Amino acid sequence: MTEPIRLAILGCGAITRSEHIPAVCAHPGVCLVALVDTDLPRANLLIQNRGLRCKAVADYREVLGQVDAVLNALPNHLHVSSNMDCLRAGAHVLCEKPLAITAADARSCTEFAEEKKLVLAVGMNRRFAASHSLLKIAMQEGLLGSIQDYDFEYGGAFDWRSASGFYFDRTKAGGGALVDFGVHMLDSVIDWFGPVTSFEYQDDDWGSGIEANLLLDLKHAARFGEIPGHLRISRTFGLKNRVLVRGSAASAEISVHDPEVVVIHRAIGGAPVSQTLQLEKSPSGSSYWRQLDNFIHSIANHSQPEVDGWQAVGVLELIESCYAHKRRIAEPWAESGAESGTETGTTSATPGGTSNGEARR
Amino acid sequence: MNWRNETVFVSGATGFIGGRVCERMMQAGVPKVRALVHEMHRAARIARMPVELCPGDLLVRESLRRALGEAKVVIHCGLGPASSIVRGTENMLAAAHAAGVKRFIHVSTAAIYGITPPPGSETEDAPLRRTGDAYCDNKAAAEKVVLHYGKRGLPVAILRPSIVWGPYSAWSTRLMDDLREGHVAFIEGGHGACNTTYVDNLIDAMVLGLENDRALNQAFFITDGERVSWGDFIRAHMALMEPTPEVREISRAEIAASRGRSSGLVVGSMKAAARVARSKEFRQMLMQIPLTEAAMKKAWNWVGSLPPEKRERLRARFGVRRAAAKPANAKFIPDAVTEATQSTTVFFSIEKARQVLGYEPRVRFAEGMRRVEQWLRYAAYL
Repeated sequence: MTEPIRLAILGCGAITRSEHIPAVCAHPGVCLVALVDTDLPRANLLIQNRGLRCKAVADYREVLGQVDAVLNALPNHLHVSSNMDCLRAGAHVLCEKPLAITAADARSCTEFAEEKKLVLAVGMNRRFAASHSLLKIAMQEGLLGSIQDYDFEYGGAFDWRSASGFYFDRTKAGGGALVDFGVHMLDSVIDWFGPVTSFEYQDDDWGSGIEANLLLDLKHAARFGEIPGHLRISRTFGLKNRVLVRGSAASAEISVHDPEVVVIHRAIGGAPVSQTLQLEKSPSGSSYWRQLDNFIHSIANHSQPEVDGWQAVGVLELIESCYAHKRRIAEPWAESGAESGTETGTTSATPGGTSNGEARR
Repeated sequence: MNWRNETVFVSGATGFIGGRVCERMMQAGVPKVRALVHEMHRAARIARMPVELCPGDLLVRESLRRALGEAKVVIHCGLGPASSIVRGTENMLAAAHAAGVKRFIHVSTAAIYGITPPPGSETEDAPLRRTGDAYCDNKAAAEKVVLHYGKRGLPVAILRPSIVWGPYSAWSTRLMDDLREGHVAFIEGGHGACNTTYVDNLIDAMVLGLENDRALNQAFFITDGERVSWGDFIRAHMALMEPTPEVREISRAEIAASRGRSSGLVVGSMKAAARVARSKEFRQMLMQIPLTEAAMKKAWNWVGSLPPEKRERLRARFGVRRAAAKPANAKFIPDAVTEATQSTTVFFSIEKARQVLGYEPRVRFAEGMRRVEQWLRYAAYL
C-alpha cells in the first residue's frame, strides 16, 4: 500500500468545516498535516473540536515542502496566487470553485500545473453525485428518447455564513450568483449536453456586480444535437431547485436535495408514472469524499482528475461572456416607485471565441 | 434640507422596508448609501446595488459610530428583538447625535396603539396606553427616546406606518402560503381595517420628512389613505391564484368558543411553535449546530431513499416545495395575533401628514396590487 498523501487545507471557513474535514478524516489515503488560516485561533478551535491530529498555521507558505498536496478553500480572490505558490513548491492542488476570478488567471494556473506535471483539480463536487452520471447514462442509452430541452433552477434566501463575507465584494468574489452557484450548474450542463453555442443572459445587478438573480438561456451543440436550456438562480427567493430534462419519450428530474437519485417521468397507457433510478450499491462517502478520492487517485496514477483546470477555464470564459453581454432583468415594480426612473437594458448578445464552456487546451 | 447631496445611512437595510429604501435612494441618485448590516448573509438584495455594506449591531454603540461614517442623513428602519427596540434606537440616536446628523427619520408604527387600536386612536394626538404587547409597547417607548433626542437638538421626524406591504413583504408572501394551506379565514366577514401602507408611499413620506422642517419633532400616521379592509386585502391575493382558494368566514364568538374547548394559550403556542419549526430561518439556524447539521444530512439521505411519492408528501408537509392550494380547512381557527390584527376598526387618519408634509399617497391599492402581482410572479409565488 502506498503512503498516505500529506495534505494541508487552506482556509477554515464554512465549507472546510462542513464538508472538507469530514471527507479528509474519512479517507484512508490522506494524512492531514495542517489547517491553514490567518485567523489562527479559529484553526486551532477546529482542530480541538474535531479531535484532529494536525497543526494550525497562519501562512500556507509555512507548510510548503512538508505536504504532497493542498486543498484550497480560501476566498475566491486568493485562489490563483496561493495555487501558484503551492504548485511552484511541488504540491498538487484541489481548488474550490471558482478556480480563479478571471478566465485568464485560471488558464495561467492550469498551464503552470501542466508545466510542473502536477494535478490541478477543481472542486465541482456535484459531478460526483450519483445522479450526475446516472442522468448522463440515461440520456446516452436513450431512456428519454431524443433530448428536447432542459430547465435548471436553484434559489433560496442566501445563507452562506462565510467568515470573511467576501461573497458580496466584486473584487473578491468575481461576481454574484452566477459565479457562486452558477459555476456548478454550468459545469453540469456542459458535461451533460456539450459546449454552449449561444446564450442570452439577464441579471438584477444594479451596479455592484453582485447579482442576486439571473436568467440564462443556453443552446448546446454536441452529442444530442442542438439542445436549448434555461437556467435560473436566485439568492432572494425559493425556486424549484431541480433540473428537469425533457425528452421525446420521458423526462428526467434531479432534485438538488436528492443528489443520489434521478426520477424518470413518463406515461404508461396514458397514465403518468415515475420511476426512481438509484444505484443499487450506494457509492461510498459524500460527493466531497468522492471528489477527494478522485484527486488522490489522479495523483497516484498520474491521470487527469474528473474536473481539471481546462474545464474550469471553459466555464469561467462563458461566465465572463455572460457578464460582458448582460441585460438587466426588468423589475417594473421597482422602477415605477422611483423619484427618477432607471433604465433597464434590452440588448442581446452571443458568445464569441472560446467562451462556450470548452476551453482550448 | 437637500438630502440628495448627502450620504444616506439606512439601518435595517437587509429588511423589506430598508431594502426598498436603499433602492429608492440609489434611484434618487444620492452620492452614497451606507447600509447597516447585522448579518451579512442577509444582504443579497442590497448587495446588488453599489451601497456600502457596513457591519454593525444596533446593540453595540461603537459599531454604529463606525458604520455611520460621514453620513448626515439617517433612516432608521432597524428593529431587532422586541426587548431590544428601545436600546437599539437609543444607540442609533446617540451615534447620530454625536456625528452631527442633519436629519433622523424614525420608522415607528401605528401599532404603538396596540395590535387592535381602540376607537379614538385615529389621529396622532390620541393618548398612548400600555398594550401589554412587547413590540407595541417598546415601539411606543422608542418614540419617546426619539423625541428626547429631538429636544437635545437632533433633527428628528417620526413616521407611523401600519400594514407596510409591497414586493418582498411577508404580508403578501405569508398570506399566499397560508391561502395554499387553507389557513386563512375572514374574521367577522373580513370587515376589519387593514390600514395598508404601500412601501413606496412610506418612502415618499420619508423623503418629505427629509425635505420639510415642519416635520421636526412630529409624528405622522402614514397609510395609503384608502379604507381597505382585511377582506379586500385577502380577496385581492386570492384573485391572483389559480384555482381561487376557498376561504371560510368565522366570527370572533366561534374563535372564542374554539379556544374555550382547548386552552387558547396551549393551542396558540403549539401552532406558533409549528410555524417556527417549519420556517426556513429556523432550519437555517439549526444547520449552524454541527450535530444538528450531521443529523439533518442523515435525514436527507433517509428521505432520498424513500419512493418519490413519499418524498413529495414529506416535502409538501415540511414546506420544502410549495404545495397546490388545499380546500378551505373547516377546522382552521386563526391565532390570537391574527384575530387581533384583523379585528381593527380604526382607520388611521393621514390628514396631519397631508397638511404638514404635503403627503399624498401616490400608489393606490389597485396599483399596489398590480406591482405585488408582478413581483409574486417573478419570485415564483404564482
